[in-house]
Amino acid sequence: MKFLKRFQKSNQKQQSEVDQTLPDLIKQFEGSKDFKQSNIIVGQPMTLYYFSSLVDDAALQRDVLPYIQKKEFQNLEEIKNTIPIEASEITNDIRTIQNKILTGYCMLQLKHNETVLLIKVKKEKSRKVSIPEVEFTVVGPKEAFVESLDTNLNLIRKRLPIPELRVDELTVGKLTKTKVAILSIEGITNEENLNTLKQRIEDIEIDSIIDSSYIVQLISDNHHSPFPQLVDTERPDRVVAVLSEGKVAFLVDGAPHGIIGPTTLVEFFSAFEDYFLNWIVASIFRLIRLFAVMFSILVTPIYVAVLTYHYEMIPKDLLGVLVTSRREIPLPPILEAIFLELAIELLREAGARLPTKVGQTIGIVGGIVIGTASVEAGLTSNVLLIIVALAALASFTTPVYKMGNTIRLIRFPFLFMAHFWGLLGVSISFCFVMAHLLRLTSLGRPFLEPIFPPRVNDLKDAFVRLPWSFQSKRPIETQAQDTIRFNQKKAKQKKEIDE
Amino acid sequence: MKELQRQINPKYKVSGSLAFFLICSIQIGVGVLGFQTSIVERVGNDSWIPVLLAGLMIHFLIWMIYKILKFGNGDLITIHYDVFGRWIGGLFSFVWIIYFWTIGVIVLRTYLQVIQVWMFQEINIIVVTLIFSLLLYYLITGGFRVVVGVCFLGTVIPSYLIFSLFYTMDYTNFKRLLPVWNHSTTDILLATQEMTFSFIGFTVLLMYYPYLKKANKTKLWGHGGNFLTLCLYIIIMVFSLAYYTKGHLLRQKWPTLTMWKSIELPFVERFEYIGISSWALIILPNICLAFWAASRGARQLFRFSQRKALIIMLSLNLLANYLIKTQKEIETINKLLSQFAFYLFLIYIPFLFIFSYLRLGRRKQHD
Repeated sequence: MKFLKRFQKSNQKQQSEVDQTLPDLIKQFEGSKDFKQSNIIVGQPMTLYYFSSLVDDAALQRDVLPYIQKKEFQNLEEIKNTIPIEASEITNDIRTIQNKILTGYCMLQLKHNETVLLIKVKKEKSRKVSIPEVEFTVVGPKEAFVESLDTNLNLIRKRLPIPELRVDELTVGKLTKTKVAILSIEGITNEENLNTLKQRIEDIEIDSIIDSSYIVQLISDNHHSPFPQLVDTERPDRVVAVLSEGKVAFLVDGAPHGIIGPTTLVEFFSAFEDYFLNWIVASIFRLIRLFAVMFSILVTPIYVAVLTYHYEMIPKDLLGVLVTSRREIPLPPILEAIFLELAIELLREAGARLPTKVGQTIGIVGGIVIGTASVEAGLTSNVLLIIVALAALASFTTPVYKMGNTIRLIRFPFLFMAHFWGLLGVSISFCFVMAHLLRLTSLGRPFLEPIFPPRVNDLKDAFVRLPWSFQSKRPIETQAQDTIRFNQKKAKQKKEIDE
Repeated sequence: MKELQRQINPKYKVSGSLAFFLICSIQIGVGVLGFQTSIVERVGNDSWIPVLLAGLMIHFLIWMIYKILKFGNGDLITIHYDVFGRWIGGLFSFVWIIYFWTIGVIVLRTYLQVIQVWMFQEINIIVVTLIFSLLLYYLITGGFRVVVGVCFLGTVIPSYLIFSLFYTMDYTNFKRLLPVWNHSTTDILLATQEMTFSFIGFTVLLMYYPYLKKANKTKLWGHGGNFLTLCLYIIIMVFSLAYYTKGHLLRQKWPTLTMWKSIELPFVERFEYIGISSWALIILPNICLAFWAASRGARQLFRFSQRKALIIMLSLNLLANYLIKTQKEIETINKLLSQFAFYLFLIYIPFLFIFSYLRLGRRKQHD
């Protein structure tokens, strides 16, 4: 019975929203200082309502007011035809009126009719398209997304001038009413992926969406995983490239990022520049990056493990160097390592929160002064200082910012396990990470693909990037409807010598 | 009470080619570290022959198991149910479940023993077992797909260890293998029996068969997996025979590990530390698949949640690891299990083969 009552209550509430009349709405709006109304008494008495904060004043003065003051009008239809603005409509639906006024339309009311004319005089306030800062590349296009959804969609559509590019729009957030545009290519994108994404975004229950990362957190397959399961990029060219691979993407109004899915682990280590460079160079860079990640995670734990338990593992000559550097240090390796790791994390965090110019100073002060001083004071060995600094440097090579954070984070459990069980601890932690990665999915597709499930076809663009002539098929991971990108035979055709 | 599950939702099935890794990943385990001693004791320089014979015998058994599964079209528990009825079949199933569980326990315990002897004398067995149990729980609750993933990665990632053998080349003398076949056939057959223990575990195939896509077409992959194991064992055996003299080898408990001692890299001296730690990744598929099969069997037999069955089994595993304390006990259990497995292979599987042919195979032909 309680449930029934609640149901009736919520029903009533909805009812009342619908029952709201135009005068009520205007009254509600009048509570705000920036809601203006002006009476026009040229012919028939008319009233113009708008939010001065949402409406472009110049356009209102130029394109609306002169026309409606010119002569007498009998009905709204006439006005609509006179005004040189295409986006206008006549309606008496209270919902539409409310939404439109709140998104930069002005409302024209004849006498006290319930039916009104809505004219779009929206103020377009948006940053200019600028250079990508996080995913900067030396070669290739230098446009990055901005906060306006229209501009972002324009950046994509101008790169994909085909009718198959589909944009579905959803609204999320009870308060913010944020627009989310889902992009896909008909005939290529797997419908299942698209529907999963759509369904998950529709199911979101939240009052406000401030940024796309809110949605990413809400729709991720595993909310508790430290690993990001969707790539976010600020490059429209990257979004276009993955759309043509058969993936799905979405843009959120107010967020300068496009989100791509389904993704795999290796995708987080592929910089977009890999596709602009020659394939041999690109492949080697990518391998270096993967090595850097492994190095960054494992090197400090191995140092701790070896120096705590397995001294005898190190050859005599190397052991001498290590022992000399640690001779006067009173701390066990784990404390030494944690001290330095924390110092680096502090530097990074301070650098990230401060303005750029001050941040540089912090880096120099922290890196050089603290580092040297702590070695001289005998708190840390200089070998470890080198190792930790290199590991930190290596963790910054990950092209996707969020993955870099994860890499730095998962180093700590490895460190503690190394302290307790030496190398065995390191390999047990590795097993845990492996288990976690095996369980992860991205939009329901395996996250570790093409490593597991093993798909040889997709290895062409995983650890290495093979030349374009090898990339004639779309990755199996996306389960694209049309798997063929281009005719491989034609692409591989060889010219006869001197003909 | 749940139903006896005969068909697996296609969503949870895995590609048939992965049968390769499923077979070999569970065969290659802690046995590789020290399988040589008991065989060399009997047949000396001919020790590679029993390895070969045992491997071929396993090929035959895999063929037989595939036939049984083809007649039964289900897993071991449903076949037992169909062939022997509820009670007798249930009893057989129960024995098999205990057998799978024991494999998991003993592999883990033997590995921990290696760690105790080679790396950490004072390691707390209970805590490590607990950590492993958590890992196993996390893996197995991820479903069969994750278990297969572990089998795959647990074979592929540690495969670099095979290169370590080539570092021992400098100290090997392959003439020690000659003359071939200078031991009696009886000795060789007895050694073959010893060897089968190194191949055990592949019988888990009886449990995961319904999870394979186009299961009956995966025979080649299954045999391939066994062949890989066979090659690996022969290579290691040949290298150990060439590396050690007989007397020297017999003094080693874990000859493979001792061989690693001769490896010297510019930055690593005692390679066995790296080897033993990496071995965690190799035994993980063993334990994982064994516990998966045991809990899956319990789910089918007692028709209750596999999750609960798993929790009970992992707790019992903890208890068992606590109770088994000395090297001697581990060896005794290993020996008992090895004999049990041998009779299971040699008597029970042909027995089941015949019965399932009579009860299920003929009925199908009749239809």
